Amino acid sequence: MLTLTIRDLQKNFGSLRALDRVSLEVQGNSIVGLIGPNGSGKTTLFNVVSGFYEKDGGEIYFKGERIDGLRPDQIVKKGLSRTFQVCKAPEKLTVLENMMLAAKSQIGEDPFSALFRRPRVSMLEKANLDRAMDLLEVLQLVDLRNEYAGDLSGGQKKLLSLGRAFMLDPDLILLDEPTAGVNLTLATQLLKVIRELQKKEGKTFFIIEHSMKVISDICDKVLVLNFGKIMAEGTPEEIRKDEQVLKAYLSGA
Amino acid sequence: MPVIYFLIYLLTMIGIYSLLAMSLNFQVGFTGLINFGQVAFFCIGAYASSLLVTKAGAPLILGFVGGMALSGLFGYIISIPTKSLKADYWAIATLAGGEVVRLLALNEGWLTEGPFGVMSIPQPLRWLFSKDSYPLFYLFLIAACVLIIYFVLSLLTNSPFGRNLKAIRDEEDLCLSLGKNTRKLKLQAMVVAGMVAGLAGALFAHYITYISPENFKPIETFLMWAMIIVGGRGNHLGAILGAVVIQLFNVSTRFIGGYVPLGSDTMAALRMVIIGLLIVLFLLYAPEGLIRERKKVYHLKRKHIE
Repeated sequence: MLTLTIRDLQKNFGSLRALDRVSLEVQGNSIVGLIGPNGSGKTTLFNVVSGFYEKDGGEIYFKGERIDGLRPDQIVKKGLSRTFQVCKAPEKLTVLENMMLAAKSQIGEDPFSALFRRPRVSMLEKANLDRAMDLLEVLQLVDLRNEYAGDLSGGQKKLLSLGRAFMLDPDLILLDEPTAGVNLTLATQLLKVIRELQKKEGKTFFIIEHSMKVISDICDKVLVLNFGKIMAEGTPEEIRKDEQVLKAYLSGA
Repeated sequence: MPVIYFLIYLLTMIGIYSLLAMSLNFQVGFTGLINFGQVAFFCIGAYASSLLVTKAGAPLILGFVGGMALSGLFGYIISIPTKSLKADYWAIATLAGGEVVRLLALNEGWLTEGPFGVMSIPQPLRWLFSKDSYPLFYLFLIAACVLIIYFVLSLLTNSPFGRNLKAIRDEEDLCLSLGKNTRKLKLQAMVVAGMVAGLAGALFAHYITYISPENFKPIETFLMWAMIIVGGRGNHLGAILGAVVIQLFNVSTRFIGGYVPLGSDTMAALRMVIIGLLIVLFLLYAPEGLIRERKKVYHLKRKHIE
């Protein structure tokens, strides 16, 4: 079973405990939400799990294998990928190039193959191009395919980062605020896509989100992080009613 | 007809510097690796090839291959610190790396003849041509090299490999999050660039038949940078055009010395001042250079473009 298991994970920034013995589990083929006030450690958790930050303690298992200590690209090759809260958009790569970039295991990524196995490389490129265009259609980015990613608006960059994640096609996707800054109609559409990917292809999503509506709409389980600790865990319904959570997080909203 | 010979010399040097500029552009313009020690590749290619031929008695072709291989190896070595150094600190390290290579050539006399340099470096297929026609042959040889390298580098930069390099240049973290081994990619890019510049070094050594550490001062790196700033980065044609412009200026101004009331030392210094000014003007008013990076447009099937 595809599961992300985190045990006693710690991360300090100087004297600040960003993650204070966090333990959690993300079951395969589910959508798990992660909420919590600003500065509670949500993005830090993602950064540690995806290998961008080094942990200060604890263990992370993915599909039964230990992944803490691996480089980000090695973790991706195990089937776990993430998006960024502030979207990364390569300035001089077009939208379509971004999608093509994300496709995994391309033999043309090796300079030797790029020169001497050209027919095979271009065949793979064509197949990827088809898939990229299909995904862009879903994300309503087809007309922008030849624009530089650096020239897109914030919301469009968000869509593109989802597109790249779908193109990469990992088993578990960590999404950092996937719908922030995206208009409501499209956001609803995106959530539908995420739902479908989970149902039809058995993908797993771990989502940081501030909108309780989004969380209630699609999450099977919600984790609440506060001051670097998991303070509650349950279905969206349970979380909504949790006194502690209400006090720490939801009451202000 | 000395004018013709001068012209052939000028074009030959433009060819050699085109290779160097394309190599630097491959690192800076495509991969975002700021290399201030580019001259080291040039130096290693030149020394390796000429020493292999003059001291080890290797055939010329082996000298060229050895020059490229050793220069590529240096690319491998100098790219190792990229994994722990930030881009700007790595840039400083390359500046030092370039000087280390030159100082080794200057001081390891048992191997390199030190300040005296390597003399009487043989020329490829020299016996086939007369003294007058040989420079023209060599120009063709270099033109062929420039064409081949242009073609090979274009294939690489248009491939998924090149796409990865451009993505590293623009957003390295994104590449990591997409599972790209950015360390390995940078390493590969440096080896490719090293081989190209090493080839330029070998071509240079066997052209002028005498090299010394004087030929490989940091100012050469500066000239190559001027070429890619003026010509444009992320574009192989831009690098070549930059080499043409800077070399034309650099070489031709030597001959107006007779018409201006300035000493040759002053002229040499003034030349660098003007190239410096050119760099500043380009960075301010045309930061993309003469030829800007071309947008990649994919050919789509009709189904997608209703």
